[in-house]
Amino acid sequence: MASTSTPKPDEKSSTPADSKPEQAQNTKTAGALEEDDEFEDFPVEDWPAEETEAANQQGNNASGGTAADHLWEESWDDDDTSDDFSAQLREELKKVDAAKRR
Amino acid sequence: MDSLIKEFRAAYAGQLGNDLAKTLTPDVPNNAAQLMFVWESGNAQSIKDDLKFLFVRDKSARLNMSSDEAVGWQEIYYSYWKALGEVLAAEGLRKSRVKTSWTSVYEAWKELTSQIIRGYTNHEFENWTIPCLYVAGKYMRLYAMRADAERGSNGDDMVTNFQDDFDPETEKHKSLEDCARQLNRIFNLCLSDRAPLSESRKWGIYYAINLLFKTYFKLNSAALSKNVLRVLSAGRGDMPDFESFPKSQQVTFKYYEGVLAFLEENYEEAEKHLTLAWLLCHKGATRNMELILTYLIPCHLLTTHTLPSAKLLAPFPRLQALFLKLATAIKKGDLRGFHQALQEGEDEFVKRRIYLTLERGRDIALRNLLRKVFIAGGFIEGAEGGAQVRRTRIPVAEFAAAIRMSGGQDIDTDEVECLLANMIYKNLMKGYIAHERGFVVLSKNGAFPGTGV
Amino acid sequence: MSWASATPPGTQPGYVSYAHAATAYTPVPVRQGFGQPYTLQPQYAAYANTTNPPPAPAAPPAEPQQQQQKIDWPDKVRSYVQRSFESKNMLPDVSREEMEAKLKETISHAKDAGIMYTTDWDGMPLPQMLVRTHRAALLEAQQRATTQMLAASWPSPASAAASTEPARATNHHNSKKRKSSDFSESDPSTGNPWRSNKKLLSLSDRISQPPGLDSKSLKQAEKAENRKQRFNTAEYKTYRSPSPPPPTGPILGTCTNLEKNYLRLTAPPKPSLVRPEHILHQTLDLLKKKWRKENNYNYICDQFKSLRQDLTVQRIKNEFTVSVYEIHARIALEKGDLGEYNQCQTQLRALYASGIKGNAVEFKAYRILYFIHTANRTALNDAIADLTTADKEERAIKHALEVRSALALGNYHRFFQLYLDVPNMGAYLMDMFVKRERLAALANMCKAYKPDFKLRFITEELAFESDAEAAQFIIDHNGQHLLVEREDSIVFMAGNAKQLFETARADAYRRVDLKGQI
Repeated sequence: MASTSTPKPDEKSSTPADSKPEQAQNTKTAGALEEDDEFEDFPVEDWPAEETEAANQQGNNASGGTAADHLWEESWDDDDTSDDFSAQLREELKKVDAAKRR
Repeated sequence: MDSLIKEFRAAYAGQLGNDLAKTLTPDVPNNAAQLMFVWESGNAQSIKDDLKFLFVRDKSARLNMSSDEAVGWQEIYYSYWKALGEVLAAEGLRKSRVKTSWTSVYEAWKELTSQIIRGYTNHEFENWTIPCLYVAGKYMRLYAMRADAERGSNGDDMVTNFQDDFDPETEKHKSLEDCARQLNRIFNLCLSDRAPLSESRKWGIYYAINLLFKTYFKLNSAALSKNVLRVLSAGRGDMPDFESFPKSQQVTFKYYEGVLAFLEENYEEAEKHLTLAWLLCHKGATRNMELILTYLIPCHLLTTHTLPSAKLLAPFPRLQALFLKLATAIKKGDLRGFHQALQEGEDEFVKRRIYLTLERGRDIALRNLLRKVFIAGGFIEGAEGGAQVRRTRIPVAEFAAAIRMSGGQDIDTDEVECLLANMIYKNLMKGYIAHERGFVVLSKNGAFPGTGV
Repeated sequence: MSWASATPPGTQPGYVSYAHAATAYTPVPVRQGFGQPYTLQPQYAAYANTTNPPPAPAAPPAEPQQQQQKIDWPDKVRSYVQRSFESKNMLPDVSREEMEAKLKETISHAKDAGIMYTTDWDGMPLPQMLVRTHRAALLEAQQRATTQMLAASWPSPASAAASTEPARATNHHNSKKRKSSDFSESDPSTGNPWRSNKKLLSLSDRISQPPGLDSKSLKQAEKAENRKQRFNTAEYKTYRSPSPPPPTGPILGTCTNLEKNYLRLTAPPKPSLVRPEHILHQTLDLLKKKWRKENNYNYICDQFKSLRQDLTVQRIKNEFTVSVYEIHARIALEKGDLGEYNQCQTQLRALYASGIKGNAVEFKAYRILYFIHTANRTALNDAIADLTTADKEERAIKHALEVRSALALGNYHRFFQLYLDVPNMGAYLMDMFVKRERLAALANMCKAYKPDFKLRFITEELAFESDAEAAQFIIDHNGQHLLVEREDSIVFMAGNAKQLFETARADAYRRVDLKGQI
């Protein structure tokens, strides 16, 4: 991956002489899809319903309910009393309030 | 060669399409020795006569086959033998003689593919033999890609060119583009068969389509894949039920159909197809499940604003690395965390083409942050001494403070208003901005739709 | 285009490739991927509707290239094509392919020579006859025949792009952005910080001085190029003298004329008509000078196309090639010729990717802005994928990425700040979608704000140069009833706008989806 970042070249190193190493180091891009990105051929052509992921989810979900129930969750969380983030937010809002009163 | 033909005869007698296809499978990594054996058991001078004997004159193994069909198979195995020689040479396995190129392998295999196609158009091949078409197409595509890669790395780009400009893509994908044309022939061969369904080559259609999808994706042309879908839906009435195809074909098809919709930003459609692919997928096919979820997760984020649970991600460490940080930041309404997670994953997201979609998760993160401001505002007396209600008139300054804190950088009030306007515009927040007075009036019933407040 | 009737991908069906040959026009594609063969559809469309009146033959019209390229064939040509394929006219010994090739050659020649409307098409021998004649000629005198035959059957190509000035020669963008507002008394932006920042470099500056290269280093580069050139020439002589070049390899030109009209090729070019690289260097210098002096886009575009063609047929891919495409791209950009610009951009992408130096940062940034304009997400993703870690630190690219991100998140506030401070020539691209984004922003504001706010707020948020300009924009979109005069200011009744701007926004985007350009 390109994220194995290399040291940045010194600024303004775009003269032809210096540009070779820069070329080598930083031209790595996110790039094209690799071979292993392709959807793979399955080793067998067909399989019974019991071997599908759907059946797998049902099995793991002994308590019943639909398969997807525990796999997706809401994107917000209401637990705003405990975490630091919410505490900090309340502090900030107090400051706004105070500024207004002043 | 005799042994190969023996296998052929057994498969043919039992009408076992997959076994038949196996006799035309140059799976070098797993079968090098046998393949070498097949290759060495023939020689250029006599192979044609040998095959003629085995297929046409050898009455001992007379299969229920017209002589016309026999000639067709004879030609196929001749082409196969020649192509095999190229494959083995390219893999560096042949003891004596020449180095070849993957381009020659591709050409030889293409010839085999043409022979197989001819089997159906000219030699009365029956539809149970269609796995042969799949093997042909599958390896043809593989060899085309190797040929392109080899040419690319050799810097050998002697494409004759009378154009005004170079065509960089054509030069890079010369063989694969040609391969796409051949696969299209297979596609049409299956599609255009007018025989009754039980005898129809239409049963081969998803073999062809799935190979075409893979090819067009490599060629970076989603538009051509859409064309395939269009043709398919036009002819769907005459097609066998989708559910009666093997699951491997259904899952592959649904995956690509889903990704195509995804790339067109048709997320609801995409979610439908990908969910089906996911549910039908073999539970042990981890890599394919991972691929399906790679697109299904961003879909869910946009369509239903839901996030993958820890349980869903548990079997997939790669997906955890991709999505976990992002999901946490969204939930918390942590704008800086979101930005960092997006940046850290950028290369990977871009490579998977989900970056531009995931980026829109920032709206959800912001929504969650604003929602926290709303909740922190607490309650006020209801009108006429009624029950307590949430404070719905919120100064823009409060939102601004929250965004500043969460984003970790300064932002002016006009830009804050712009972000608020967006929330309202996108129905993530209900209410309006009173610009001149500097506050927002939120709806009393469901200021943040779908989130319980 | 229906799939069923389409030829397999990658093969160019005869008629379609005609249109291509005859018009040499490539509309800006909204395609999802790459590869020339996949762009046939829009070209076909260009062929299909043909009702433009023929311009006066003697004096080519002073239209910008973009317009001129869209001109379709005269009726006479169309019936000539039809006649060619009537079954009674078919010849058993001439294949359809040969006919099509010949037709293509004939028509593109006529077009490029500017004699499309003066040729007596009714009296013109049909392509099958031409093929026969051609064969006979070949038999007679193997080598000289081809050249002479061409020379005999065609008047020498008149200078297709005469030196008339393009009508749009005045630089709309520059003038608009540089001079102060026409409504100076109501202009709130006097002294606004963005106005001083906002500058577009003029093209003549840019041609002679690409960013980061002063004239001295340019000279040095040229010298180095000349040294290389001498070497090439020597090599060429030894290579050439004993035997003709092998048919597969690139040809080496021998033509020494600096100028050459563009003609689309249908067969391998003759070396005598192709200019070798050292001549092309002189050509480029000449073209730069002429562009600065005459500013004649028709002429310059034609010359650049023939220059590019000479590079291509000789397979010359080096820094000189890059500079040719870069300069042509900049000129096309300034003139709003997006079709030509996109062709250059595609080439540049491949050239940079193969490691050849140039102003990659500048053009990678344009590329991002361009795909924002055409709303091509897949290509946009690919453009981002092309960026290196170092690229992302470059100002121009950072700017383009921020523009993209601002639009993706609907942050019009940020977008219009970025619009006021665009590096290089990016403003020419942003100008193309700024109207659409203003409509989007207004649609947004009208839903979010109640009941009203000052017009000045729009002027500032959407980077209008004055309240008057903002008001005019609203009026142009039938929003006059939303503007109300209060004691000391004009107020915009956002809460009353309903779907007005939403509809306008959707229309503006729909146009992009269809054509890839507005």
